[in-house]
Amino acid sequence: MNRRVFMAVAAAGAAGIAQDVPEAIRKLRPMLDGVVPITDAERRARIDKAQRLMGENKLGAIVLEGGTSLYYFTGTRWNQGERISAMVLPAKGNLVWIPQGADAKTTRMGGDVRVASSDEDAYKKIGQALKDAGAARVGVEERVRFGVFDGIRKEAPGVEFSSADAVTAGCRMIKSAAEIALLQRANDITIEAYRAAFATMREGMSNHELSANIQAAFSALGARGGAMAIFGKYTAFPHGSIAPQQLRSGDLVLIDDGVSVEGYQSDITRTVIFGKPTDRQRYVWDLERKAQDAALNAAQPGATCESVDAAARNVITKGGFGPGYKTPGLPHRTGHGIGLDGHEWTNFVKGNKTKIQPGMCFSDEPTIAIYGEFGVRLEDCLYVTESGPRMFTKQSPAIDQPFG
Amino acid sequence: MQTTDDFKARIKKAQDAMKEFGLGAIVLEPGAAMTYLTGVRWGKSERSFIVVIPAKGEPVWVLPGFEEMRARELIHVGDDIRVWQEDESPFALVAQALKDRGVAQGRVGMDDAARFFVYDGVRKNASMLDYVSATPALKSAGVDMSQPAGGRGRGKQ
Repeated sequence: MNRRVFMAVAAAGAAGIAQDVPEAIRKLRPMLDGVVPITDAERRARIDKAQRLMGENKLGAIVLEGGTSLYYFTGTRWNQGERISAMVLPAKGNLVWIPQGADAKTTRMGGDVRVASSDEDAYKKIGQALKDAGAARVGVEERVRFGVFDGIRKEAPGVEFSSADAVTAGCRMIKSAAEIALLQRANDITIEAYRAAFATMREGMSNHELSANIQAAFSALGARGGAMAIFGKYTAFPHGSIAPQQLRSGDLVLIDDGVSVEGYQSDITRTVIFGKPTDRQRYVWDLERKAQDAALNAAQPGATCESVDAAARNVITKGGFGPGYKTPGLPHRTGHGIGLDGHEWTNFVKGNKTKIQPGMCFSDEPTIAIYGEFGVRLEDCLYVTESGPRMFTKQSPAIDQPFG
Repeated sequence: MQTTDDFKARIKKAQDAMKEFGLGAIVLEPGAAMTYLTGVRWGKSERSFIVVIPAKGEPVWVLPGFEEMRARELIHVGDDIRVWQEDESPFALVAQALKDRGVAQGRVGMDDAARFFVYDGVRKNASMLDYVSATPALKSAGVDMSQPAGGRGRGKQ
């Protein structure tokens, strides 16, 4: 649970809501039947690909701490804790694990396990593993902490360190059928939770209460996740506001977030009217939907990622907003990669000339933010096939119909 | 509950420690040190949200353009707020901030909790500086680094 959702739940609990679970949520049942986890054979193929990419990128090894990349390659879930544990993946040969404490019990996918007795010992052993690999250039996983990197470099004189993104993102950006199936399940669960939560909306409720209801729905569906809920003029803030919000007739309601299934994340946004929309709300909502459609249609294999952003932004600019990141308009990129991280490589953003390939997964979410009035964001995720992009979820058809 | 003056006093103490430890500035990501020194809690995402605290002068905030309104709700120390748009480099702004505060050579303290890509981005944009751990100076200034990180701002849109 992230802190924001924890606080929302705590606030809702204090208001006496947690004890009184709405009917729409109580009748939900777990949706995890038939989920197929990633196999070790698939993980082995990922390691093989990583080693091939290391060769192409002239890296002798990569270093990882606990996190989604380590989980991706090995299935091992470590926290980045006080005590340093790491894994060295050499360009050739077996994994080398340098764990401390309980982390030693959870190494997977074989390899050499060299248990460290202290952080200093861990850094020495990591340095030795890099030496054993004969690595002159070493890639560091993007989320390795500076303090850990600093400890390693002192034990690896003469080694040149750079980003491991070409290897880690190079693997993770392209999803297999098994990964797409897990993402599909996470998306299906999210839609069911949102459907139930929208049924609990009532005049005067706080955004924290709606947020808590979504979380309760996720929990009833057997998944972990949270969601932010934003009302009225605060929908213009892409990530909401700390200002207190009570639902009033005529408010737009924006909910955004998702769950994970076997680590794979969903990320869906719906913006819906509570009560009757004004002409202006309807105009902006319809424009937003056209922008989302334009991005979807542009996300073809072979197209550049930046062209997808341009397609959505053009619609919004022609509709009278922007241009560029200027508000009122679309103040952020059109979408991001998604997989084991809710946001991962690569993005629908100006300047990104990466070519779209089958197996890539993205969010499609051009916001229209009008500060002082309201904002609209529709977000569905897509996966790219040989014959074009496919949405995981049915898009919202209208301002008063969140689900297709 | 700390006041703005409390945070200013903490920053002053950290600046004294920077001088003692030979650091021209420290570069912090969201986390325990940022929270202790500025009161700002912000969820880490791939979009860099950074405060540069120079040994001399005011802090510089570097954050995503579309988060500016929300960030201003939280920032009470330092009004030099510089935003980067989605196709721009936050690290170029960090490098400029260091330059503007007169940090052109020598050592800069990096938050031990900062992620490698942040360090890597900053060093590429300000390659004449040496980056070392900020922890000894922060500890000497009494910065409590045991507090949990996290907070608002998880990148989820």
